[in-house]
Amino acid sequence: MLSALQNPRQAAAQLLNFGLILSTAFMMWKGLSVIADSPSPIVVVLSGSMEPAFQRGDLLFLWNRNFFEETKVGEIVVYNVKGKDIPIVHRLVRKFGTGDEAKILTKGDNNLADDTELYARGQDYLERKDIIGSVVGYIPFVGYVTIMLSEHPWLKTVMLGIMGLVVVLQRE
Amino acid sequence: MHSTVVRAQNVFGFFTTVAFAVAALIAFTDIISPRTPKASVSMSKVEVVRGRPNYYSTKKEEYAVLRFNLNADFSSLMNWNTKQLFVYVSASWPNATSSELTNEAVIWDTIITNPSADHLQNIGPAAMKKLKKSAIGKTTDPSRGKINLKNQKAKYQITAPNGKLAETNDVVLKVHYNIQPWVGLLTWTPQMEFGNWKMMKGGVSKLFNFPALKVKKAAESKS
Repeated sequence: MLSALQNPRQAAAQLLNFGLILSTAFMMWKGLSVIADSPSPIVVVLSGSMEPAFQRGDLLFLWNRNFFEETKVGEIVVYNVKGKDIPIVHRLVRKFGTGDEAKILTKGDNNLADDTELYARGQDYLERKDIIGSVVGYIPFVGYVTIMLSEHPWLKTVMLGIMGLVVVLQRE
Repeated sequence: MHSTVVRAQNVFGFFTTVAFAVAALIAFTDIISPRTPKASVSMSKVEVVRGRPNYYSTKKEEYAVLRFNLNADFSSLMNWNTKQLFVYVSASWPNATSSELTNEAVIWDTIITNPSADHLQNIGPAAMKKLKKSAIGKTTDPSRGKINLKNQKAKYQITAPNGKLAETNDVVLKVHYNIQPWVGLLTWTPQMEFGNWKMMKGGVSKLFNFPALKVKKAAESKS
């Protein structure tokens, strides 16, 4: 910390470097979001309702464009329900009609019943606009760290503390 | 420059680079491994009945209850990167106004795991023991990709949003699969040939019609 005061030029360079890393990560996320046309192109699996295909912590890549054909039965989709902020990853099992007005029903592979109970009150089916993407790519386990961080908030403090210590102790 | 932290960072960085490179290579082997799936499916029995969607509902709708035969050979789809093979049979039918198959519903599905993923299955202990015993020492078991079902009852009955299904014409059953890899791209039944991946041979049933509503014997005698 003392050396930073002695050398303001170096401190400014480090600050800029840090800002660059942050904005690069942000722009990559947003760029991917534009390419895939999905507000959240990468999601972490939070529940076991799609086991044995997906475990908690697995990383999924989403694609939300319909170049060649419509989203169809059998695809694994991520959808949002009105009034609930956690996206759900389930398989599309029924579809009635085509286009934006098609009525869509989903079900988790590991669940016995379909998702009617999970939808909003009075909502029997999903529509295309509720879906934020279909799963196209898969990397196991990599996202588990985000589950750890959200389930044990003290880990965030520990991580921030370690990072701060490293910054302070490592000056060269 | 050669502090412990920097060394740890370098080791971790190298580890992630190698891990992702190996994962990408494994995912790539999927593309070059040949896929020659074939299947034949036929409807063996269908009836339309009236019932409630759940026990507390007052609404009554029509349900189509099916039985079907399925003979499939998906053994070429079970390679070392296959975690599970999801096989499903769907029924499709057109709307009253068009001949396009605009409605589709899954009537039956099954999860076929490779032996390397058996421990992830959500089944009872006895079934798990049997499953594991069926492939001791094997990490892949292509023979599991063979399916032979006769007069199989559908897992899910068919409904329609407007509650009307009786006397629907031109219904067709189709077999599909979805390959879940250990790492890489998820793939479904291809719509066109792609390199070593052949299109599914067969897998579509003959057209059939949903019959008229089946009236219960008791109700018949009452009226």
